[in-house]
Amino acid sequence: MKSCLAAAAIFVLACTPADGRRLDEYLQGAIISVEKSRVQAQMTLTPGVAVLPIVIEGIDADADGVISEAEQRAYAARVLRDVSLSVDRRPLKLQVRSVRFPRMEEMKDGRGEIEIKFEADLPAGGPDRRLAFENHHYSRIAAYQVNCLVPRDPDIRIVAQTRNYEQSMYELEYVQANASPGPLRLTWWSGGRGWLGTAALILLARLAFVWGQRARAASGIRGLRS
Amino acid sequence: MRISIRTAACILVLLSGGIAQTVTSRIVSAANAFLSTLDQKQRQMALFAFNDEQQRARWSNFPTSFVRRGGLNMGQLSPAQRSAALALVSSALSRRGFEKVQQIMEADEVLKNSENNNPIFGKDLYYISILGTPSEKDPWMLQFGGHHLALNITIAGEHGVLTPTLTGAQPALYTRNGAIVRPLAQESDKAMALLNSLDDGQRKQAILSYRLADLVLGPGKDGKTIQPEGLKASGMNKKQRAMLLDVISEWAGVVHESAAAARMAELKADIDETWFAWSGPTTVAPGTNITAYYRIQGPHLVIEYAPQRLGGDPAMHVHTMYRDPTNDYGRKYFAK
Repeated sequence: MKSCLAAAAIFVLACTPADGRRLDEYLQGAIISVEKSRVQAQMTLTPGVAVLPIVIEGIDADADGVISEAEQRAYAARVLRDVSLSVDRRPLKLQVRSVRFPRMEEMKDGRGEIEIKFEADLPAGGPDRRLAFENHHYSRIAAYQVNCLVPRDPDIRIVAQTRNYEQSMYELEYVQANASPGPLRLTWWSGGRGWLGTAALILLARLAFVWGQRARAASGIRGLRS
Repeated sequence: MRISIRTAACILVLLSGGIAQTVTSRIVSAANAFLSTLDQKQRQMALFAFNDEQQRARWSNFPTSFVRRGGLNMGQLSPAQRSAALALVSSALSRRGFEKVQQIMEADEVLKNSENNNPIFGKDLYYISILGTPSEKDPWMLQFGGHHLALNITIAGEHGVLTPTLTGAQPALYTRNGAIVRPLAQESDKAMALLNSLDDGQRKQAILSYRLADLVLGPGKDGKTIQPEGLKASGMNKKQRAMLLDVISEWAGVVHESAAAARMAELKADIDETWFAWSGPTTVAPGTNITAYYRIQGPHLVIEYAPQRLGGDPAMHVHTMYRDPTNDYGRKYFAK
């Protein structure tokens, strides 16, 4: 990694970027699309020529100069591990929809765009929703951008978008009319806090069982004494 | 040069036997005049089917050696053919628009010279192509572009649609015959003036709190409408709204005057629903370009101005994008 960074630094000093090629940044644009029951995102990742060695090191695992389909899939999975998406503070499980890699020559020219599309199901919720997206992929060399599409569903209206300066953190507030929050138990069981509720239920059941046993034992003793 | 090309356009039109009744008929005549100068092989290279979606989307900000364009480049043409090609482009643009195009091409020639005659740059590497058959009634398309330029002009009857179009420049300031040339000067200066006209409350809304590294809806991002941000023009006063329209006119006014007038009328009607957002430095050195990104977005409009950090000073390297999310490539005039 250190040698890659040094090579990149030398490259930056040596090259004359007059041709408009991306140079020392890894541009990572995300466009998010919200529907009532799911969220979709398209990430377009463009490594600059100077940082390409660093990025390629993370993609071309066997260093054979060819990015195989398995390496493409592995890289997409890695990108998805480096980003997170949550709704109303509940983490969402991301699923890759498609991955498209440019030719190696295009990447060497600084114009190769890696395109990763992914989606996540949205649990039912109330009318006011808050979607959060974070991207920490190659944060030392990244130039992040994130936007959302105007919703196609007229029931959904974007209220606010907030980002930090680097756009690594993004929050989208929106309201949806005709929202169906779903049965209480569904909401309760779903999401990241579901296991807490399950544990509480088990504990309550266990306590009830223990109390029941004690009560039966006490009445048994009273019966023996009487 | 500008005068000679426009004069050549008139002569070619007259030679082709056309009596210019309408702007469209003038453009069609110029197209036919250009095509008549080509041999069979050149015609095959210049002409594409109107429904060729690959060619329609084959444009970029990159040099043509990185992203291949379709059509014929200026270097492949004889002086007469080249004049006819530029006369066609000129016929579809306003005087100011054609001047801007020439300055962008000239900037690339300056870049070529500053790079020891680097063959990936220069005025010879701008491509012209026609999709469909030039017609006064049926839709057809003229494309002209290369490094930092992509004009996509759809002609449909009397309608002239310029979206999507990319303009840019590197160097975005150069000297020619002792005079300073800034191809995108007005785009920079008028936006700066608009920002300076805003009061504190308006600036707070217009100035985004985050960095924008590049165009959001650049090449390859057709058919997307992002959520607008910044200051809505309904929150501007009358003078500021006029200033905003004046900034917009730098893109909407590139196409020929009658199409530009129709387009400006459409955008003026939308003005209260149009947003202005700014990201980056809020000052500029006199006589130079801003180094901030800005976006203007309305129901029928997306404009992005994005200085590029890639080539050193962002003021010297600018990319801009002009779109109509409801009518890019003039689709509403031919889509079923």
